[in-house]
Amino acid sequence: MFKSQEMEINMGPQHPSTHGVLRLKLRLDGETVKHCYPVIGYLHRGVEKICENKAFFQGQVWTDRMDYCSAISNNLGWAEAIEKLFGITVPRRARYLRTMLNELNRLNSHLLWLATHAMDIGALTVFLYCFRDREKVLDVFEAFCGSRLTTSAMRIGGLLEDIPEGFEKMVKDTLTDIREGMLEYETLLSENRIWLKRTVGIARLSADDCLAYGVTGPLLRAAGVAYDIRKAHPYAAYDEMKFEVPTKTEADTYARYLVRLEEMRQSISIVEQCLGGLPEGPIMAKLPKTLKSEVGEVYHPTEAPKGEIGYYLVSEKGGVNPYRFHIRTPGFLNLQAIPLMVQDALVADVIAAIGTLDVVLGEIDR
Amino acid sequence: MSYVFDPSSAPNAKVNMPSTAPVPGLAAHIADKKATEAAEEAKWQKTYSDYEAAKTKAESEGAEPPKPPVRPVAKSDAYDMQWPVPKEPEDQDLKTLVELLGESVEETFEQAGELICQINKTAILNALTTCNQEVSLRYEMLSDMTATHYPAGDGYKFSVVYHLTCIRRRKRLRLRVLIPEGFEPESATQVYPGANWLEREIFDMLGIRFANHPDMTRILCPDDWEGHPLRKDYPVVGLGQRNVDFREDRSGKLMRRAMEAAGHLNINLKPIKAD
Repeated sequence: MFKSQEMEINMGPQHPSTHGVLRLKLRLDGETVKHCYPVIGYLHRGVEKICENKAFFQGQVWTDRMDYCSAISNNLGWAEAIEKLFGITVPRRARYLRTMLNELNRLNSHLLWLATHAMDIGALTVFLYCFRDREKVLDVFEAFCGSRLTTSAMRIGGLLEDIPEGFEKMVKDTLTDIREGMLEYETLLSENRIWLKRTVGIARLSADDCLAYGVTGPLLRAAGVAYDIRKAHPYAAYDEMKFEVPTKTEADTYARYLVRLEEMRQSISIVEQCLGGLPEGPIMAKLPKTLKSEVGEVYHPTEAPKGEIGYYLVSEKGGVNPYRFHIRTPGFLNLQAIPLMVQDALVADVIAAIGTLDVVLGEIDR
Repeated sequence: MSYVFDPSSAPNAKVNMPSTAPVPGLAAHIADKKATEAAEEAKWQKTYSDYEAAKTKAESEGAEPPKPPVRPVAKSDAYDMQWPVPKEPEDQDLKTLVELLGESVEETFEQAGELICQINKTAILNALTTCNQEVSLRYEMLSDMTATHYPAGDGYKFSVVYHLTCIRRRKRLRLRVLIPEGFEPESATQVYPGANWLEREIFDMLGIRFANHPDMTRILCPDDWEGHPLRKDYPVVGLGQRNVDFREDRSGKLMRRAMEAAGHLNINLKPIKAD
């Protein structure tokens, strides 16, 4: 009379909580996930192929559009990779400003993550609070480079322009607002019974699995591995900054939430250090009009808000464009671990897992 | 006025095949440097012998002798730019690798602060296992893996690079193999499970198959896509895709006609077969 069978359903690619065009093929036994197979590629634009056919400096606009929530981190990695390839020395003031912008961008990205993650799980108020504060960070970007999302803020060898008048006060006001805002999110979430039920023990990923699958960023740190490329392989001006690498050992969604909140506090501290010790001087290295490469090959890893973003470049002799341009995006490898995280979990927890991974399909599909 | 669009003349449809295979390496760098120096020396010798000839001629004719040429000196670097040249391996990890792997190591060098080790194509699985398991190395994580197409390569057509990370000692290492067309390297998923999607991406973009891979399918392009986009002989516009120059087609008329001719969606899907 009663019949039970496993059901195969598609979550996405147009599901609102998949943050874009992610498709998960789920095999369900009732409400329990028995098998999960992610399907990606719906947003593939061939960024690598395009950048290989453009001059070195023209690749920047494409890096903006990969992870459109943290364009500055992408720009920074791109610029530093090319600087490493050519052996360019960047002036100290430019490195400080880059560090400051990168940390503001981390705040922006984490605020957006918290907003959407909380909304997915059902806390709609946090969404509005976070967007209120994120707007102020975007205003800072607009004051600096004229655009809010696709910033193209970096240049090879430094920055295009110095900071405008009144910029420091604007940044300080924004930081004060975010610091106050963070108290509000914590009041709303940290001890909220529903939030705890939805996040504690959900979507676990142990440190060994993280390492085996190349998972980086807040997920790795929430599993107890204090690995941050800003500390391990310092770039920009991070070797002159004082900050902590927050870790937790629970490796679940709640631990990642705490790690990210602590990271935001550290980011605020780094921005303040940059503003306090901002050196005078030029913001652009002296470079020839056209960059002509020799035979070379670099891989430059940097710490984006979502994890390690690495640019792999190969150049040929006398070339004006890269021979090979490959981007290792954090989302691509982090998303690969989702079948482990949702194995034998409930369907509703899949939403929490997608949220905690902080997926942006623009960078995964490239 | 009728306009006939020729896809082969589209600016993006042209494929410029590279004439050289830029595989960075210490030996290649030294050979290149020697060749450049020899060419400069030959040029100088020619200039000087020309001057000698002109001088003898002028002397025999009784005219004024020409000015002696000045040997050009290398310009001092006016830019904040110093190209990082490949250096001899000094890092202990590279020496350990040479000791452990012996003859399967083809070349080791350092460039721009990175450690590079080129491995024989058949020994890559052994090398990865050694890097992962050996106590003195212990590279726990495969950060990135990618490949490059070298159509002008002599004896190889692709390079596959593995970027390994040691978290405890904060080190990074690049392993590289050079493989010919059609060669299937052993899959790294046997050591690092995270290589799964990376290898699928390489297969999708460059057409390198990996032996013993659990799921060797396309990942970014649709399953029935033709060609491998990151090969150098693949046009930027795609194969058969977008055969209309938009600058000449403001109204979209030609695009519509081309779409009708190409069928549904006008992307390079294979024609649908009836059952």
